[in-house]
Amino acid sequence: MFYLKVLEITSLYTILVLGVYLLTGLTGLFSLGQGGFVSIGAYTAAIAYLKFHVPFPLALVMAILMGMIVGLFIGIPTLRLRRDYFLLVTFGFGEMVRASLLYLAQLTGGAMGLAGIPKLVGLPLILVSIIVITFILYNLKNSRFGRNCIAIRDDELAAASMGINVYAHKIKVFLLSAAITSYGGALYAFVIMFIEPNLFNWLESAKLIIITFVGGMNSLSGVLVTSMVYYSFGEFFRFVDVWRDVLLALVVILVTIFRPGGLFGSWEIFSGNLLKKRKEEAL
Amino acid sequence: MILEIKDLSISFGGVAAVVDFSMYQEENKITGIIGPNGAGKTTVFNLITGIYQADSGKIYYKGRDITKLPAHERTSLGISRTFQNIRLFNNMSVIDNVKVPYVVKIRYTIFEEMLKLPRVLREEKSIDDKAREMLGYFGLAGYSNYKPKNLPYGIQRRLELARALMAEPELLLLDEPAAGLNPGEVEELMKLILKIQREKKLSIIIVEHHMELIMNICSMIHVLDFGKKIAEGTPYEVKKNRKVLQAYLGDEG
Repeated sequence: MFYLKVLEITSLYTILVLGVYLLTGLTGLFSLGQGGFVSIGAYTAAIAYLKFHVPFPLALVMAILMGMIVGLFIGIPTLRLRRDYFLLVTFGFGEMVRASLLYLAQLTGGAMGLAGIPKLVGLPLILVSIIVITFILYNLKNSRFGRNCIAIRDDELAAASMGINVYAHKIKVFLLSAAITSYGGALYAFVIMFIEPNLFNWLESAKLIIITFVGGMNSLSGVLVTSMVYYSFGEFFRFVDVWRDVLLALVVILVTIFRPGGLFGSWEIFSGNLLKKRKEEAL
Repeated sequence: MILEIKDLSISFGGVAAVVDFSMYQEENKITGIIGPNGAGKTTVFNLITGIYQADSGKIYYKGRDITKLPAHERTSLGISRTFQNIRLFNNMSVIDNVKVPYVVKIRYTIFEEMLKLPRVLREEKSIDDKAREMLGYFGLAGYSNYKPKNLPYGIQRRLELARALMAEPELLLLDEPAAGLNPGEVEELMKLILKIQREKKLSIIIVEHHMELIMNICSMIHVLDFGKKIAEGTPYEVKKNRKVLQAYLGDEG
């Protein structure tokens, strides 16, 4: 039972990491406001289900749409700005969501949080979600979309000169990331059964970025594995408490020094790297 | 006439980088822009490609006013370029670098892309073929899986050319293509530029310091100094021009 619980939580966080992988890993956009989307997803789905008696699947869809709409409002004015400003604005956005949830107490329960959410999400749905999201991201990474992302991350000016609509592409990336993250948040609400405004602060958002870097910006599998290891480690070793973060910090330092490309570099489990190489040699 | 520039000006914080610059580019011709360092040559390129927006003046491409178009739209119309300080995508393989500009021709939608539907597979296959053909054309086929930063300088320069041509341009802008090359490589580059001009039916504008290259392959030369055009004409005419000699060698020319 405990192991199941750990796996559930770990997999939930991994969905959030996937959203960050697309945004930060592939495209090089740093957002400290992912927590805001988690909350938006969680609250939208929970409120729709509890207060408006919307069927559960529809509540999930509403959470995704809400995340994307808010993402559009944040993205349109800020994605034209330099990346450091984008970081600041998303940071502010995350805190703004937290404050709004506290303030809109009638709807959200304020600081008391929202209790009484039924546990409708189990491990199968979470795992299937991870597989579907990974499948989509993997496909995107290996065609035009992914090339555009990496080109923008490497050299925005050159990317624009090579015909990429940098601004439009960043908006697409941000919206997709917001959709994934809000969806993860919605699942979260129906797993944990209780949500409150502080459930996901900017430090948690920052951790998602760190995991992406440790795993490897160019490796979807690396990020998946690192995320599973980190979060399950966190659940198993709750007793070490603060030392968990110290340990993570140590790993980050070691990785940045010895493997700046991340633990997995640009290696992928499911691409059949070996197979491809052999084929090329034959040519 | 493929490109027409009329009285183009831009200044940065009060410093006039380009002042009332005008020029024509005939189809299937190679034009050179020369001038001392800081004369505004690269700025002219950045204005033509849309990296900068001009303060005043007009740019017409095939008769169409493109002065206000963003950079990526100009690329899809058929203007492509290379950079003075090589700007390849260093975290991508050589072949992916070459595939990037093909974005302007791709027809599949993002939803097909997410699910890897047949049209995506089909188009990606043909992009792969085109990219390999392009690498082969430039003698880079053996490097497809390398990362650009690990390649010798001369190879990187050629790769930038290959990448620029993947957008299937009609107007190609080369920003100091000979910078950092040794005399033998410059000789090769000259032949290569003439070859791609002929075989791909390109109009080419070159910014360059290397006089031999400019004088040998350009049919028309514009000379810039402090953002202003001080001379234009055939290589022979420019060579004889007093103002040009003064700009390069100082007064008492």
